[in-house]
Amino acid sequence: MRRSLVFGLVTLLSVTGCGVGAQQAGTQASGGKVELTFLVFETPNLDAAFWDAAIARASAKVPGVTIKKLVTPNVDRTGYAKQLDASGDLPDILQSVNPAGFAQAGKFAAFTDQELSGFIAPKAGAIDGKVYQLPYNTQVIPVVYYNKDAFEKAGITETPKTYQELLDVCAKLKAKDVTPFVLGGGGADTWADMYPLTGTVATDVYSRTPDWLSQRAAGKVKFTDPDFTKAVQKVADLAAKGYIDPAGLSRSYADTEQAFRDGKGAMYPMGSWFATSADNDKPGFEVGAFPWPSDDGSPVTPTFTGGGTSVSATAENVELAKKWALAFDEDKANNDAFVKADGSIPAIKGYTPPADMGPVYKATVDIYQQGMKDNSIVNAFSQETGDGSLPPGLADKAALAVQDLITGKKTAAQFGAYLDDQWAKATQ
Amino acid sequence: MADIDQVIRTVPPRADRDPASRRRPSNRSRLPAKLGRAALFALPGLLAYGLFVLVPIGMTAYYSLTNRNPFNPPTRFVGLRNYGELLGDPEFLKALGNTVIITAIVTVLANVGGLVIATLLDRPTKLYLALRGVFFTPVVLSSVVISVIWQAILTDDGLLNSLLRAVGVSDPPGWLSDPGIALYSIAWIITWQMLGFCVVVYLAGLQGVPRELREAASIDGAGPVERFRNVTWPMLAPALTINTVMLLITGFKAYDQIQVITNGGPGTGATATMAFQVVQTAFTGNRIGYSSAMAAVMLAVVATVSVIVLRVLQRREVEQ
Repeated sequence: MRRSLVFGLVTLLSVTGCGVGAQQAGTQASGGKVELTFLVFETPNLDAAFWDAAIARASAKVPGVTIKKLVTPNVDRTGYAKQLDASGDLPDILQSVNPAGFAQAGKFAAFTDQELSGFIAPKAGAIDGKVYQLPYNTQVIPVVYYNKDAFEKAGITETPKTYQELLDVCAKLKAKDVTPFVLGGGGADTWADMYPLTGTVATDVYSRTPDWLSQRAAGKVKFTDPDFTKAVQKVADLAAKGYIDPAGLSRSYADTEQAFRDGKGAMYPMGSWFATSADNDKPGFEVGAFPWPSDDGSPVTPTFTGGGTSVSATAENVELAKKWALAFDEDKANNDAFVKADGSIPAIKGYTPPADMGPVYKATVDIYQQGMKDNSIVNAFSQETGDGSLPPGLADKAALAVQDLITGKKTAAQFGAYLDDQWAKATQ
Repeated sequence: MADIDQVIRTVPPRADRDPASRRRPSNRSRLPAKLGRAALFALPGLLAYGLFVLVPIGMTAYYSLTNRNPFNPPTRFVGLRNYGELLGDPEFLKALGNTVIITAIVTVLANVGGLVIATLLDRPTKLYLALRGVFFTPVVLSSVVISVIWQAILTDDGLLNSLLRAVGVSDPPGWLSDPGIALYSIAWIITWQMLGFCVVVYLAGLQGVPRELREAASIDGAGPVERFRNVTWPMLAPALTINTVMLLITGFKAYDQIQVITNGGPGTGATATMAFQVVQTAFTGNRIGYSSAMAAVMLAVVATVSVIVLRVLQRREVEQ
């Protein structure tokens, strides 16, 4: 009996030992190469073939690395990265994961000034002066994409320059039985409902107080303050007037885009990544683009710069992982692919997009370049990374609360109080 | 007398008088060896159960007494503070209420629907055998697949509203976008998914009802309703127990459908359940300690309700 037990235990330990040995050997791929895990996310624009080709191009530039691709179950890569981290499996390299929280907890490795020398805005998204996510591209959030045919049929000849003109456009469209705004946010894509609010916060709050979120972190301002409440009230009013259809909140991101393509609304406030989608797969009407207008018509251009790769501080070989991450984000062909597939505006020194880009992408880049010329660039609310950003998890809460705002379950004041309460919980 | 002699002759001799029996170990002396061998075979299963069930439960209980937040170290022991906070947390209480509503709807509807369909399908023809397979299909499908299918049906531009618009309903309900309806849509989807399970269990129960009993009741003048009430229904008591307990557990741990279809919305918590709230608090809010307390409460609620219901229904089985 004792012999049987001893045999059993020895067998068990042998099997366990073999398992551990195999796992350790797994990080050193064949031929002495280091295997690094790379977390990516797939969308209709950024599909599996896109990532495989981009990974292959970067790996060709960094010998000694084998990349094992991991794919998030949905587009919420930050949430998935947190789950992996909680189970002790934080990937070595991560694409477009918000570094807030990871960086402060020492889980991400900081890039040096020298490593960031090739980027236009090397300190974008810095946390305590250090950059944990490569600032490889800029996105304008939101751009108001619109159906030129629907505008023409409603007798609208010019795009709105002021917020009142935007309301007039909405009224004209509504009078023609056209829903002015297409908005989504169903299922896991709650984030897709944020963009009208991102627009109003930019024009009504950030244009006057660019570091508003930093001041919120310092306790100097609150979400219930009049200027923020005014921005929130604008969205509530759009819904109350029937300019946003609450039924659209059940639509996923893909369904929302399809609803705009199907003519179920005339305007689609979305991130600049929609531009290439509109160019590559043209709807049955011409698409135009204009920036979210401010009250007095002064230009305000909410943008996000960052979104690149991050490296885990506990990666098998941090220096090699950073080298590979830089190769991935600075590769010209990779950036061309990002531009063509996802409408990104690369923030890499000396980079020029392919000449054959479509009209919607060009109109979007014009909005960004005009913003640079006007010096009207501000942060895009809920998209920020770095010091002046929402605490981890609060952007998701805000997106859910926007649904309450649109369905009339929360007033602007209640929305602000809810965010203040959630802020307190997130930072305790 | 001859019979007694026969009995005496066939009684085996005492073991201690048989030299051979002294060399063989008795059954009692072989017992430890048998137990040891059994334990050896059980060891992998016990290890797996311990590692993947007992240890996580223990760790959850431990974390629930801390302020663990991976992005805000260090972790400190906070006693029962998390449990105290839960009592005043409107989001958790809302999720608890939603869970109870979903569980109640799923338990009642799937039981009633399953019983009705099983009664209709309790016929030995090929058509009805095929229909049993049809009703069971949702049970073997992934919850995510089912959620995607129902999302396509229930969204604003989905199949159901398209049909309603086609028949003249100009402003059909927002099945998933109206906070007042979305919770019931979710409950319906889970009911639909579990219906086939209930049908199969009730069918097995129905086929265990002796035909003689029904025939005897008929001869005694009992109509179909009386036969069902007095003969069939009491005999289905074990099936009711199995279905009710399974449906209770399914309702209490509802997560997949909410994650895929509504993400807890529309709005803040309209369809959030306890399980959903646990995951959100842990991996969106990063409050592992607090979410562990939620999970511990959820475990206690599910275990308590399941045990009470099981006891009540098992007592009913005995009484029947």
